[in-house]
Order: sequence, then C-alpha cells, then structure tokens
Amino acid sequence: MKITIERAALLRSLSHIQNVVERRTTIPILSNVKLEARDENLALTATDLDLTLMANEKADVIDPGVTTVSAHTFFDIVRKFPGEAAITLEQAAGSTEMTVEAGRSVFHLPCLAADEFPAMSLEELDVRFEILPADLARLIDKTRFAISTEETRYYLNGIHMHAAGSGPTGTLRGVATDGHRLSRVEVPLPPGAENMPPIIVPRKTVGEIRKLIETAGDVPVQVAVSSARIQFGCGPDMLVSRLIDGTFPDYERVIPMSNERVASLPAKVFAEAVDRVATISTEKARAVKLAFDTGKITISAVSADAGRAVEELDAEYPDGALEIGFNARYILDMMSQIDGGEVRIEMANAAAPTVVRDPADSGALYVLMPMRV
Amino acid sequence: MDAPAASRKILHVDMDAFYASIEQRDDPSLRGRPLAVGGSSRRGVVLTASYEARPFGVRSAMPSVRAAELCPGLLFVKPRFDAYKEASRVIREVFALFTDKIEPLSLDEAYLDVTSPTGGPRPAVEIAREIKALILARTGLTASAGVSFNKFLAKIASDLEKPDGLTVIRPRQAQAFIASLPVARFHGVGPATARRLEALGIRTGADLQAAEEGELVKRLGRFGAFLWRIARGQDDRPVEANRRRKSLSVEETFGVDLRDPTAMRAALGPMAVELARRLERQDFIGRTLTLKIKTDDFVIRTRSRAILPRLATEQELLAGALHLLSHPDAPERPVRLLGLGVHNPVVGQTETRQLPLIFDADRG
Repeated sequence: MKITIERAALLRSLSHIQNVVERRTTIPILSNVKLEARDENLALTATDLDLTLMANEKADVIDPGVTTVSAHTFFDIVRKFPGEAAITLEQAAGSTEMTVEAGRSVFHLPCLAADEFPAMSLEELDVRFEILPADLARLIDKTRFAISTEETRYYLNGIHMHAAGSGPTGTLRGVATDGHRLSRVEVPLPPGAENMPPIIVPRKTVGEIRKLIETAGDVPVQVAVSSARIQFGCGPDMLVSRLIDGTFPDYERVIPMSNERVASLPAKVFAEAVDRVATISTEKARAVKLAFDTGKITISAVSADAGRAVEELDAEYPDGALEIGFNARYILDMMSQIDGGEVRIEMANAAAPTVVRDPADSGALYVLMPMRV
Repeated sequence: MDAPAASRKILHVDMDAFYASIEQRDDPSLRGRPLAVGGSSRRGVVLTASYEARPFGVRSAMPSVRAAELCPGLLFVKPRFDAYKEASRVIREVFALFTDKIEPLSLDEAYLDVTSPTGGPRPAVEIAREIKALILARTGLTASAGVSFNKFLAKIASDLEKPDGLTVIRPRQAQAFIASLPVARFHGVGPATARRLEALGIRTGADLQAAEEGELVKRLGRFGAFLWRIARGQDDRPVEANRRRKSLSVEETFGVDLRDPTAMRAALGPMAVELARRLERQDFIGRTLTLKIKTDDFVIRTRSRAILPRLATEQELLAGALHLLSHPDAPERPVRLLGLGVHNPVVGQTETRQLPLIFDADRG
C-alpha cells in the first residue's frame, strides 16, 4: 500500500476515529484503525464492537492495499505535523510496519493484519429515511444533557427515538431522562420514518453522530434502522451502531398535562440569577429555592458553610405563593436549551413534576422533579 | 392531688378541621357544606371532615364509602398537601414568636412550652389567645387551644370547646376534671385497652384514680403505670423541640382472633391505607417495613424487609406486608394483633434531596 494524502483530510477523519477507539481494550486489534486504499480513496475504520465508524477521504493512491495501525498514535502523529503537509503512507508487501512521512519526518508504526479486524455488520436494515442534519442535531442537542449515566438503568443511557403520528402532522421524537429530569423534543417526521421501531441510541453513538454532522453541511443524513442497529450515512462517513436492547419507560406518564401554577420569566435573566445564587450552594446537591409570589420570584440558596444568597426577579405569575426547590445545575442545563427570550414554568406543587417550556419552540418540552429543600 | 410547685405552662394548639377548612377557605363554593377531604374511591379514607359533615357522624380515618352512606350529598375533595404544608409553616412561624419549645405532632397540631416565653413572663392564656388571633389573621383559619400544666391535660383541653375554643385546666381543677373523663379519652387507650380496663371495672378517670398501681401494672405493664400517673395529673413528659421520629406504625387488635389467612390479608389492606396516609402527613421516609404479628399465645414476632427510601405508597406497603405475612411461613396460630410500620428513617440527605420521576414500569 502506498498513498499520499493531505494532512487536513487525514486529521478530520482521524479525529472522529480516535473517539471511537477505546483507550483501554483487551483486544489489541480494537486499538487500531483499519486503512484501506483503493480507487483514489482512503477508508478509515474503527470499532469498539458496539459502534463502528468508517470515514472516507480522497487520496492519491499509488498502490492500493489494506492494513491497521494504532489509532491514537497515528492521530497524534498527524496532529503534530505542520498545517499544509502532504503525508505519505507506505507499507511494503509482507512488512509488519507502515511508514508515515511528511517533509523530513519519518515514523515507523507496527501493523496488525487487516483480516483480524472485525468486519462491519452487513445485516439488512429495513427502515430507511433521510433526515436534515439540523433536525438530527436538534433531537440530540435538546435531549442529551438528560441522558442517564447510571448503569443499572442501562435503558436510560441513550436517547429514545420514535415516530409519533404519521403524515404531515407526524413527528420524530427524541426523549432522554436520568430519572430526575426529562427532555422531549420533536422534529417533522421524515418520510419513511413512520415505520421505524422505537429505539434507544446509546450515549456514545449520539456523541459521534453529532460530531459527524457538524462537518456534513446541509446534506441530508441517510438513516437505516432495525430494532437492533442504526446506521447513519453522513457525507463520506458511515456510522453503524448497536442500539440499547431494552424498553424505554412510558415517559408520557411523568409529563403532567395540567399544572396550574404558571410563571413566565425572561430566560436569560432567570438563568443568570440562578447561576449567581447557586454559587452559595456548593454541596453536591446544588439546591436553590424558588419562591413564587404574585408578580415576582425570589431565588435563594443556603449553605451550612458558604453563607446565604437571595435574588428577586420580576415574573409574570398570578397563581398564589409557592416555594419549590431545584437542583441549580438541572435548571441551568435546561435553560441552555431555551432559545427564545422567555421561559414558561408550569408547576403543581413542591413535590410534583414541573414542566418547563420554551414559548418560542412548541416542539420541545422539559420536565424537572423538584428537590426537597 | 399534688400539683408540682414550679408548675409548667403547656399549650396544645390544634387546628379546627384543618384540611377541610383550608379547602373551604380556598373555594367559597364549599363553604357551609358537608365536606370530606380524602379519596372518594372504594378504598378511600376520609382525612378530615368539615364541621358541617360531623353531625352526620362523618369522622377522619373513616372509609369514604361509609362516610357517603352516613351523609348523603357529602362532597369529596382530593387533598392538597402542598397547601396544608404551607399553612402549617405559617402556623409554626406564629408559634415561634412565643417560644422555641415547640413539638409539632403533625401538620395541624403542636405542643408549646410557654413556662418561660420569649420576651418575658406573661399569662399562658393570653399567649394562647394571641396565637389564635395571629393564626386567624395570617391563614384565615381557626384553631383550638388547651392550656394546662402538662401535655396530657393540655391536649384534652384543646378538644373540649372545638371549634375556635380556648380551654384552661388549672392545677386545682385537674383532679375533678380527670375524674369525669371516660377512659377512652386517655392518651393511648384504644378499644382493646378500654375493654381490658372495663373488665377491671375501670370506666372513668375516677376509677383509675381509685385503682391500685400494682394492679394496673400487672394487667397493662408499663402503660398501666403511665395511666395511673396521668390520672393523678402527673405527666412530666417534656415538650420536645426537634423530636425526630424513628418509626411510624399502625396496629390493630382484633375483636376475634384471625384464623384464616384470607382474613389476615384482608385486615392488612386498611392498615396499609392508614399507614400511607400517616407517612404522607408526617413526610416520613424509612428504609424498613416491619410486620408485627401477635398470636393468641401472646407471642410477638416481627418480620422486616427493605423498602425503597422514598415516601411509600399504600400499594407498596400492602405488597410488602402481604409478602411478610407469608414468608417464611404463614402464622400457625390464630392471630390476635397485626401491626405494620416503617422504621429506619432516612435522615441527613432528607433535608435536601432530589425527588425522582416515577415511571410505573421501573418503579422510578
């Protein structure tokens, strides 16, 4: 194998690839990226057995071939080459080393045979559709903060996606929860997606596809899905992932429909005030208390050793005094998803699920459980 | 009767039909009408009945079905504990103006020791009157207060002139007053103990005052000694501020011993409902569910299992109780008493704790 490739192209692919490769693995071949050169193309593939990414870059293929080298080492080398470098990769037939050359630098990297590399699943995925990168990004961005990291409830360790309704009014929904808060966001249902099974996309896959669409521009993402796997075709890149094999809870049950105490607040002012007051609540549970009263909200925090803080804001709130506590971090995570100038908080009482909405975005909804304070 | 020389001044303040009064305050259409706060379903229980409903015999802890039979046209309102807790907070703020020795018994009642009130000595009756007025002004609700020199008498006094009552029992009145009380009015005397006292010929406070202490202790154990003392106006239990509850339980002694496992299971249903109600009222969270079984040979066994550290629901309590009843084995002898309780309170983080979203499928 012998090719010449631009540093920028190689770096783009490797930066995605090295995210997929686990730093610690007991199977040596999984530390490696597979390089396959043919037809003026270099295909780079990495896998952790659950998630496989294949990136493609244009290259000057002098001698086609295939090999594997350490993904992290290769990435580090390419990263440290100067900006405009042209990089030559060469592996002589029968050699156990690949040379990486740019300018006057030469690296010799040990290779593992490509036929040891796990093959990408070629299983047929029955449901196929296209989704706009902006819509996929929205499904991810507005939900991923709520994904659980608790391994016992593995079925919460991803974004639940499913079709709701069909035709022009149908939506594709993304839902995530960690058992304390929940985010539900909708985008128009892409044609073809109405038959998709309800799925749970693992956290790591979510992160990788989000990075890929960053560089995809406006080209629609090709999605193929079964109940066990999902595949994203994103420009020159292809991501295939196993799905979480579990049942997402019936999340609609925890979304209150008729919380009667409703406050409207300027979003930015509110978020900044919560952030300021929360400086005091340094403990792990960053509790802040919100005291709603006619026309105003008082945000406060008390800490045994850090002191006290109070801040009062004007709010549109006609519904009688209510004191309710929240984890400040949860409020701030949510507020960072409110794009409009205003936030609407719908409460029942200090111990019941609270709904947070962005009046400028009817397709997103957040639920937050209070803290006892 | 020997009233202690340095007599204490104890108030017992008890809100009148607390939940029902709050509902009537907040919804004018409910005023003047018979009202029960609680569930109207088949398994529901009346938490509080308004004064309009009481002449019909509607009482708290009564099954809602029974209440509806007694009082046709009885309105049922679902409880809003949030509103009750808010009112309770205001009431405790009022108490705190007068003393820091406050022992809340639940959301709507508390003992106060005003022997040395904040701001210097003054008559306890005057404090009670002022507390009632402040509560009315700040919450729109009436309270009844009892004033006496110990907890036992203060509590009985608050109940004498409900609603909106204020009753004082002075040391020199105490003996005659206690003598006139039926034994069922004494703290801790339920139907079963009342029957046992009756078997001893004891029906009133006067009978208790005349009883031999040794005889009462022989029949009722330590509780007998307690009864003998309070019948003499001797109750030195202090008003304990910040008293932290260690467990919360309900129990029932059956009129006829239960032999049939089906009957035992049936008896646990209402107990789970009642326990859930009290846990919610007290905001009590424990990690252990305990079933107490007393058989006809008076042997008491307790069985425990872990429960989720959150406010237990009646379904969870009942499921746990049924499990404990049959594991490791069903009681072999007839059962005289069953008790169901939650122990091992969650403390520390309870002050500030994140509440979970409850998904039915995975139990939150």
